[in-house]
Amino acid sequence: MVWVGLQRFAELFARGQAGTVNKLLVLLTLLVGCGKQDPRQIVTLWHQMRPADRAVLDSRIEDYEQQNPGIDVRALYKETEELRSGLESAVLVGAGPDIVYGPWDTLGVYNEIGAVQDMAPWFPPEVQRQFDPRTLAILSDKVDPSIRKLVFVGDRFGNHLALIYNRNLLKEPPQTTDELIAAAKTNTVDHTGNGRPDRFGIVWNYTEPFFVIPFLTGHGAWVFANDEAGDGRSEAPPVPELDTPEAIAAYQFVADLKTKHHVLPVSADYNAARELFLAGKAAMLIDGDWSWQDYLSAEGIDAVVAPLPVVSSTGLPMVSMVSPKGYSLSVAAQGDRAENAIHLIQFLTDTPTQRAFLEQQKIIPSRLSLRDHPLLKQDPTLITSLALTQSGRVMPLVTEMRAVWDAMRPPYQLLMSGNITAATATRKMQQGAERKIIALTSIVQPGVTAPLLPYAGMTLLLGLLAWQRHSFVEFVRDLRHNRLAYAFALPSLLAIFLVVVFPLVFNVVLSFSNMSLQSFRTWEIVGLQNYTDIFIGDQATKFWGVFLKTIFWTAINVSLHVSIGVLLAVVINGPIRGKAFYRLLLIIPWAVPAYITALTWRGMFDYEFGAVNHAIVAINYYLPELLRLEVIDWLNLPNPAFAACIIANVWLGFPFMMIIALGGLQGIPQELYEAARIDRATRWQQFWNITLPMLKPVLIPAVTLGAIWTFNNLNVVWLVSNGGEPADQTHILVSYVYKAVFNLYQYGYGAALSMVIFLMLVVFSMFFLHKTQATERVN
Amino acid sequence: MNEPRTLTALRHVVLLLFVAIALWPILDVVSISLRPGDRLRSTEWELIPENWTLDSYRQLFTEQPFLRWLGNSLLVSAAVTTFGVVLASMGGYAFSRFQFVGRQAMMLSILTTQMFPATMLLLPLYIMIAKLGLINTFWGLSIFYVSTALPFCIWQMKGFYDTIPISLEEAAKIDGCSQFSAFTKVILPVAKPGLVITALFSFMTAWSEYIVAAQVLQDREMFTLPLGIKGFQSSMSTQWGLYAAASILVSIPVVLVFMLLSRYLVSGMTLGAVKE
Repeated sequence: MVWVGLQRFAELFARGQAGTVNKLLVLLTLLVGCGKQDPRQIVTLWHQMRPADRAVLDSRIEDYEQQNPGIDVRALYKETEELRSGLESAVLVGAGPDIVYGPWDTLGVYNEIGAVQDMAPWFPPEVQRQFDPRTLAILSDKVDPSIRKLVFVGDRFGNHLALIYNRNLLKEPPQTTDELIAAAKTNTVDHTGNGRPDRFGIVWNYTEPFFVIPFLTGHGAWVFANDEAGDGRSEAPPVPELDTPEAIAAYQFVADLKTKHHVLPVSADYNAARELFLAGKAAMLIDGDWSWQDYLSAEGIDAVVAPLPVVSSTGLPMVSMVSPKGYSLSVAAQGDRAENAIHLIQFLTDTPTQRAFLEQQKIIPSRLSLRDHPLLKQDPTLITSLALTQSGRVMPLVTEMRAVWDAMRPPYQLLMSGNITAATATRKMQQGAERKIIALTSIVQPGVTAPLLPYAGMTLLLGLLAWQRHSFVEFVRDLRHNRLAYAFALPSLLAIFLVVVFPLVFNVVLSFSNMSLQSFRTWEIVGLQNYTDIFIGDQATKFWGVFLKTIFWTAINVSLHVSIGVLLAVVINGPIRGKAFYRLLLIIPWAVPAYITALTWRGMFDYEFGAVNHAIVAINYYLPELLRLEVIDWLNLPNPAFAACIIANVWLGFPFMMIIALGGLQGIPQELYEAARIDRATRWQQFWNITLPMLKPVLIPAVTLGAIWTFNNLNVVWLVSNGGEPADQTHILVSYVYKAVFNLYQYGYGAALSMVIFLMLVVFSMFFLHKTQATERVN
Repeated sequence: MNEPRTLTALRHVVLLLFVAIALWPILDVVSISLRPGDRLRSTEWELIPENWTLDSYRQLFTEQPFLRWLGNSLLVSAAVTTFGVVLASMGGYAFSRFQFVGRQAMMLSILTTQMFPATMLLLPLYIMIAKLGLINTFWGLSIFYVSTALPFCIWQMKGFYDTIPISLEEAAKIDGCSQFSAFTKVILPVAKPGLVITALFSFMTAWSEYIVAAQVLQDREMFTLPLGIKGFQSSMSTQWGLYAAASILVSIPVVLVFMLLSRYLVSGMTLGAVKE
């Protein structure tokens, strides 16, 4: 009986199904040998549609499966960046989905790494003419640039920004920026009279450069010098143009809204801006077409979507950067799979599907035939929306765009927090963009050390073997004597090393290679360049800065984790009531997933509405003479932002140390304390002379590993500081690596940096463990 | 054992303060889960929002495969916990009690596997899993989780065994136990607090991980809970209500497991009986 149960468990496990009745029945029929497999062919689709769109997509897919009984469509939602990195990895092993649905931005990358194939055979010119030409992407083949490929068929067009205003607060939308400033000023009010506004004239996500584009276009600036046509199809390498007088004027205008006109909140990321508007605490908001439905249907406000105003000083309209979204055929789909995939793409870009999206989600279709749909002539929001897409400038379809966004972000944030002038900001943007484009587009050539590396590696390995040959012999001899010891230790070792050896070796190799976007599948060993880049390249000073910060981060986190953990364990371990209750409540920070609590902490550090600043105000109010704390703009200043990360991480980590210390305390014989009391030792002496030394063996592994994990803790820093904000000044080494690898595809550099981190930690733990004698056997 | 009242009161003050700090952000998550309209931030601090609703919780169970994800997560976490506890209790014992060739090297090398920034290992890990045909299986995931949890667990168990006097086994051996049965009958029961921490840690490793899970599991039906929850997140239109509600529900099993196990964590069984 038990055996049958186990067997079933194992089978379920192998198939990865927790088991519904249905699946169990299938399984049973399979077991008795008369089962038949699902004969349907599978088409996999990875998409990044937002929740409301997913519902439409799912119902259309259902229709499709009904019409095509032989096809089983597996649609999988992935967040935009996850989809991109997932597809990249899949391409390397020839796996992955048949179809990807995504934004325009990532397309250049997909084409560059050869992840998508030509769809022109199925979409001949006469079919292509049925689409808005701005929703099709025809790119040159990576290997043979004379081959042009249709790699993207859009099903929608937009992603445009508009001015949403609350009619309860503002009767008419401003037509010019002068009117906008005036309207914003009258709507920035301080009801409570505490010197801080309770309502703001205008808000938007001003941490993200995408939202600043309309200000640039309104002042006559753009991001690249050579795509005047605006169709994003120029073949010459694009040249960033971020440092023009027009751009300076635009950034000056934006900064003035905050520092001169005082109509912007002190800080506003996407969620803060959205919430201010929804709560009726902002008269105007700049946000994209994906969000309008939420505002229009929200209770308590009367939202209207309007075009962005004309810039008074130039007479130019503020237009946004627009782009389509659509389907691409992955290289994984070949033969029949390609045929099936294309059939589905045709269905999902066809008129009925687009009509469903238009009618249910108010999405501007890519099919020209639908542009005459009555909704586009009657619905005020859709009329505005269509006009905005027509006037918008298409996002350049080049991989360099990514470098430009990356370069714009930090100076823009510094400008908005009042740290630099507009002129400095644009200069930094231009320099950053040029540097990043070089990093993104150049391929490191093999250096002089490249041919020597394999020999050096072999010599090292052989030398190591020769040096350790005695211990190897001893080991074999010892295997027989210490059978039990090896039988106990080896299974774990195998389990650990089977998993990590390949990835580690792969990384060592990668760290000597030039793997990057340009050489994603054709990378080769180039020598020690990546290492020299780290220590003596132009980024070297930055590296050492980040390194010192990481040391500080680790030291302060671990010491606070341990001291709070031990303190609580000792306190809880005393003769008090309600131990179980306290214990349970105190582990909750550990139990709730960090990916939500880190975001909650970010909200709590908000300048205007965060709980931390509220608490500071309350403490000052009730205990006026005691502390005199000051409210802090936590998230926009480098040091407070880093402190915020530390506070959040200490909060996340102390329960674990408390549990370990609690467990350790149980092992301390009470007699020791009794003896100490007889000797009239104080409690402090008892703690210092008995408790701590007796906790040591239990705490050392926790401290060592705690330090290692904290050193490598990407999540908290990333989530609390929103990827290094402000201006990449809250990075620790791992988040710095992450950014290098995932934003600029510097895999080689990232691998080398990881090796450096790895070696640093090895040295640290050797030193620490040697000091504490932790590997010694007890006697 | 008695202690002055002021000291007892001080204990309560410290604990209550930290309970407040521990719960403060959690209450915010609860509040988000009750808010209609997917609002992460709020401009007013209130635990129960004005127009609160349990709709997010209802949706999780009726419109999302939440129970399926829960089952998957329980399956994976149970397997990881079992393997983690068995392997670590043995490995830690070997390192604590035996002197054998390569012992120190092994202990250090186990530790070094934790030192590599995990994000850089994702790409090769995916390649490996794909080549082995383990995409979309719980095996691939569980093996990875066990190997991530083990280094800490082994070291932790070694530390625990170190606090147990060696005379305990010697006495057992005099009574006729073999080394193995001394381990199972005498040492393991005494090492319960360590085993509990190992079990909790292994459980949590599998329970809350999503980055590797996202590489391995490519089918929504096979998602583990964290992966399902991450699916509510999308750039600039996250379903915050579902996200928060699911996060609260995800933590309940952890609290339950902890409640079940914490009896052994502080069972008061001490080594006091063994006089050195």
